[in-house]
Amino acid sequence: MSTPIKRRRDGRYTIRLDPGVRAVLVTMSEQLAPVLSPDDPTTKRLFPPAYAGPVHESVEREYRELVDNALINHHRQAFELVARTAQAEVLTDVELHTWLSAIGSMRLVLGTRLDVSEDMEPPPSDDPTAPEYALYELLGQLQYLMVEVLAAELPDEGRPEGAL
Amino acid sequence: MSRAVGPPVRARQTEAEPLEAELTEVVESQLTDRPWLVIVWNDPINLMSFVTFVFQKLFGYSKEKATRLMLDVHHKGRAVVSSGTRERAELDVYRLHEHGLWATMEQST
Repeated sequence: MSTPIKRRRDGRYTIRLDPGVRAVLVTMSEQLAPVLSPDDPTTKRLFPPAYAGPVHESVEREYRELVDNALINHHRQAFELVARTAQAEVLTDVELHTWLSAIGSMRLVLGTRLDVSEDMEPPPSDDPTAPEYALYELLGQLQYLMVEVLAAELPDEGRPEGAL
Repeated sequence: MSRAVGPPVRARQTEAEPLEAELTEVVESQLTDRPWLVIVWNDPINLMSFVTFVFQKLFGYSKEKATRLMLDVHHKGRAVVSSGTRERAELDVYRLHEHGLWATMEQST
């Protein structure tokens, strides 16, 4: 099998994906973007609590008031970009990073709904959750390939302290 | 931590300030002085290679250090991935949440 995601000499990435996979990315992005909220049971997992340990609830509340809108916007913009560029055969570095983030969010939503665990066996093919689980797995494979390609661009030795 | 608050307490005692005010000050200084730890928790969904990648990308850690932290998260259930002021920790938690990792912050004891 040829590599579906490949870095080009100009620093952009060739994306070779089945039209069905591209369609799924559009559908999921369009479904999730409008419902993004810490209060929505589907997308709650994208907004974990920040404070742990003995802190007052008000500290967490203040933090949430400060960041929730920004975090909602971050996820929404990622889904919107994926929906917009889903048919693209070439993506920029920034676009591919955004795809990776959005696909990760999709997996979090699906994985939470399926209540997956680390050593979970796939459900039998006649199980009602089988299609959703297959999609979860597919997105996992896609994410794995993207990480492989993008991680190759990061220096193994890391960045100097404080650099961004 | 006691090292940081010891001497000022003795200095104030000689000025005979009210004990209560003094204690409040000590507690407050401890709250601000003690570093905040950013912790990433294990979750069954995020891929191991993705978690390592996020540590490298966000914190500039070497591949070796990022992998070690990821394995700590995986095997021990959690790992401290950064530490610093409360503002710094909030920013790091936010960036980790942008990437879907289960991150929290707490003050070191």
